Amino acid sequence: MLDLRNLTKRFGKGDSAVTALHEVSFSITEGEFFTLLGPSGCGKTTLLRLIAGFEPPTSGALVLDGRDIAHTPPNRRPVNTVFQNYALFPHLTVAENVGFALGAQGRPKVEIAETVTRMLDLVQLSHLAQRKSGELSGGQQQRVALARALAPKPRILLLDEPLSALDMKLRKEMQVELKRLQQETGLTFIFVTHDQEEALTMSDRIAVMGGGRIQQIASPRELYDQPANRFVAGFIGETNFLAATCAAGRLILPQAATTLPVAHADGPVTLMVRPEHVVLAGAQPDALTLTAQVDRLVYFGTDTHVHLHLADGCTLVARVQNGLRGGLPCRQGETIPVSLPGDALHLLPQEAG
Amino acid sequence: MDAQAQEIRSDTLRRWGLALPAVTIITLFSILPLVVVVIYSFLAPGDFGGVRWQLSVEGWFSVLFERDIFDDTVTLSDAHLTILGRSVALSLATTVITLILGVPTAWFIATRPARQRAFWLFLITIPFWTNLLVRTIAVQEMIRSEGVFNNLFLSVGLIDAPIQMMFTNFAVLVGMAYVFLPLMVLPVYAAIEKFDFRLAEASYDLYASRLYCLRKVILPLVRPGIIAGSILVFVPSLGAYVTPRIMGGGKSMMLGNLIEMQFGQGRNWPLGAALSLTLTALVLVALVWYTRLTAGKRRG
Repeated sequence: MLDLRNLTKRFGKGDSAVTALHEVSFSITEGEFFTLLGPSGCGKTTLLRLIAGFEPPTSGALVLDGRDIAHTPPNRRPVNTVFQNYALFPHLTVAENVGFALGAQGRPKVEIAETVTRMLDLVQLSHLAQRKSGELSGGQQQRVALARALAPKPRILLLDEPLSALDMKLRKEMQVELKRLQQETGLTFIFVTHDQEEALTMSDRIAVMGGGRIQQIASPRELYDQPANRFVAGFIGETNFLAATCAAGRLILPQAATTLPVAHADGPVTLMVRPEHVVLAGAQPDALTLTAQVDRLVYFGTDTHVHLHLADGCTLVARVQNGLRGGLPCRQGETIPVSLPGDALHLLPQEAG
Repeated sequence: MDAQAQEIRSDTLRRWGLALPAVTIITLFSILPLVVVVIYSFLAPGDFGGVRWQLSVEGWFSVLFERDIFDDTVTLSDAHLTILGRSVALSLATTVITLILGVPTAWFIATRPARQRAFWLFLITIPFWTNLLVRTIAVQEMIRSEGVFNNLFLSVGLIDAPIQMMFTNFAVLVGMAYVFLPLMVLPVYAAIEKFDFRLAEASYDLYASRLYCLRKVILPLVRPGIIAGSILVFVPSLGAYVTPRIMGGGKSMMLGNLIEMQFGQGRNWPLGAALSLTLTALVLVALVWYTRLTAGKRRG
């Protein structure tokens, strides 16, 4: 439905030009909850502004339903935005805010009134229709902004970090609410966030961005289990990285007593293992076994993070679920055997730096 | 109980004591002079200025009417009505002209990068530091018969004889628009500067054309500034004295000049006082209209 083809955006001219987006290409399918995830300054907001039409791309095409809209102004694109700061019109009531787009399109009053009622029902704010936007709480403003952007039935709804201003509890509620709205309306959502947890729980697919480039596009599970590179692995969830080597079909970790068979070209690799997969016990079948010293234990409620260091000073974090029989298998200062199960290891090409 | 009552009493006294300087100043400089003007407007004129202590409504009567010296027939005073009408009309015209010139100027300044704004505002405020008389005479120098414009037009052959611009309503209007323009620019600038341009972006995203955005988003939000600027221009225009005196002379008099005349060569202090109060009433009407506009906005 929406195709981005080699979209590039440069700000400034000549030597001082900054490239915010490098040749970004991907497709979004109808009805998808698509998330742009990345640290601040990665280009995700620039990409969103390009799709909304607030900035023209320096080069490349933006094809919506077979038509290149890269240079169509925002008021003639069937794409609406929920802004980070909501940008509600302070002089208008909730109902007038929601009906704004329809008014601008010159739709008949009856139709506007009907749509506004329906939209306010959808976001459960019918009782506040006559309030001014300044008299609403953050969560309520958020819902008005959503209803306002949904009212003209856009082809795509863009959401620019819409939950970042809300407190934790409200944010969780709104995550569920947004997902419900998306499923009920069947609309295509493009959601921008820097919060990986938010991205993992809500999205159908996630595009991880870094340095103005798409690093990987995949489903949340795939991103977590099979990150394409170290940037993605480090940004999504917590991870241990260890330097290892592949030689003659064996995976060799210098600190480990055992090796594992591996189907990987010979050479140095980065070994990635999630903390929850680190086993605090020796002599596991098909695992790399090593010894480590316990630096400290950090209690997190449902689980405990065990910070370890290996003989050569490399650090490793293991996550142990609390409330298991027998309690924690180690104490601070102890030297214990540690296993990295073969099926939990993920190899990444070694990168400079 | 007694102790408590005493405490309340001493507290009340203390409050009055603290309020006394303000109350004194307001009474002395605001209420008292107004009372004097009201009283004078109901007295008879003295022969050589001043008033005779004798109740009379002649002053108020003369604001709108005149009595024939021979047969005592009462007619509407054409001269006063013309001046009243001219004052209101010229003040409204001044307000409209400063709006047309001032709003785009304010918009221009408010949309400059923050560092440049101070410079442009500085240019707008320079005339404030210059004497009003000097500024007005500078405008006179531009449009008088041997002035800059006439000489320019003559030299390029646009006209054969100098255009008589001085001592007309046009001259007064030019002078007042020039003098009062900063009073329009500054409040409008303050309103536009506060405007969140992300709202314009949002409206643009929601299918609004530029005109629709201007009408439905920008104008409603900068309206308080526009109204404040209009009041700041209209009120002093109505009572303007120096500018109409220099630019309009005896031909294009305004209320301020008429009032001055009653206290000077006219030697009719009660009429002058009544005219002053008429002016105050006109200003009050404008202010009531202003509060209605802004209050109605809040109820919206």
